[in-house]
Amino acid sequence: MSAPAPDGAPRLLLPTSLPEAVALLAETPEARPMAGATWLMRAPLRGETHPRTYVALGRIADLKTIEIGDAEIRIGAGATHAELAAALAPLPECRGLADAAGRSANRAVRAVATVGGNIASAGFAAADLVPALLAADAEIELEGPDGARRIGFEAFLTDRAALAPSTLIARVVVPRGTWRSAHARLPLRVAGDYPVAIVDLLAATDAGGLISRAAVAVGSVEPVARRWTSLEAALVGTPLDADAAAEMAKAAAGDFEGRDGADAPGRYRVQVLPALVQRAVAALAAQS
Amino acid sequence: MSLRVVVNHEERTVASAPLTPLSTVLREEFALTGTKEVCGEGFCGACTVLVDGAPAVSCLVPVGLVEGRRVETVESLAVGEDLSALQAAMIETDAVQCGMCFPGILMTLTGFFSERPDADEEEIRSALAGNICRCTGYEAIVEAALSIRGAGAAASAVEAAS
Repeated sequence: MSAPAPDGAPRLLLPTSLPEAVALLAETPEARPMAGATWLMRAPLRGETHPRTYVALGRIADLKTIEIGDAEIRIGAGATHAELAAALAPLPECRGLADAAGRSANRAVRAVATVGGNIASAGFAAADLVPALLAADAEIELEGPDGARRIGFEAFLTDRAALAPSTLIARVVVPRGTWRSAHARLPLRVAGDYPVAIVDLLAATDAGGLISRAAVAVGSVEPVARRWTSLEAALVGTPLDADAAAEMAKAAAGDFEGRDGADAPGRYRVQVLPALVQRAVAALAAQS
Repeated sequence: MSLRVVVNHEERTVASAPLTPLSTVLREEFALTGTKEVCGEGFCGACTVLVDGAPAVSCLVPVGLVEGRRVETVESLAVGEDLSALQAAMIETDAVQCGMCFPGILMTLTGFFSERPDADEEEIRSALAGNICRCTGYEAIVEAALSIRGAGAAASAVEAAS
């Protein structure tokens, strides 16, 4: 079905299954997918124009499920931030991703904004879920006219802007294991601001309490979130020491070139990274 | 076919284009001007309404996405002259000032209490993080919310809203 539009106004198509949505997008070249709409509704404020047609994904029940298995968590792209935070709450290794979902924006936005919409918005540098999923080594299941495929999250971030509009994110798959994770974000005000910088840390420790594996992802500092591999390498073999980690982060902060924005200049975003690393390591230590 | 939305318990037909913000439809088509359009970005919360019982920032909701769903605005809270428990508490604590943010605050807390009737002060403050008030400093608002906390008071607030 579709919602009627007066002459000239964008149309809204409302499919109820994923194959139907893919088919609609494939046969309507100017159409673009719409999830919770919180990013797309502000397109005019960013100087962007709406396409002639949106294919709304909110009525596809199949996209709303979150399945927690022993080895992996399968998150439907249509799950909202609030639903994801609630589903992950009992899982100790998922504190980082649960906080990313449960503390972004504000309550009313979290109740509407979806996982798929958050990670698909290539122009949204401050998305909370992106660095959390990068640190978690998530994979993305895409569904398109040629069927389904699964790609790594880093590859997805590189390719997402170039994907055909008829290629939809069906699910995000997050591996499970015996590690801990934390999401450290710095908004300038508590009230729903975008964070100026985000550090996600996921680490496993050995019997002696030393870090055996570390994943660090940085969001909002550069236009696209990425892993902080030099810091990951420096952390392995060291204890969970927040102050020492902050020193390592300070030494490696030159790896990033901050983006200037109305909320903060680029150098500030880089300057706060050691403090966020410190908070993330402290959070991990407190989880033991 | 036409677009239908249940607004304050009444089925309404929407004439606006599907991408029109729900807040604009409420104000301009239905003259429900209690819902305020302020930032238009989902930051300030002045346009908060309930969609199927949950708070939503109506400036970011295209009306086409609420086809067949229930929308409640601040105008639904009082029944005749009887204010909801939350509204009455706000007057009791002298929390209301300019009124720009207030409809949104009432709708956020009404939705929040229906889900978490026994919420503590920290949770109430966290629930209000998306509602910006530039007048009061929040203390009287939080005091009012705390005064109706608990199943009985919250139930009556929800009852008045439903």
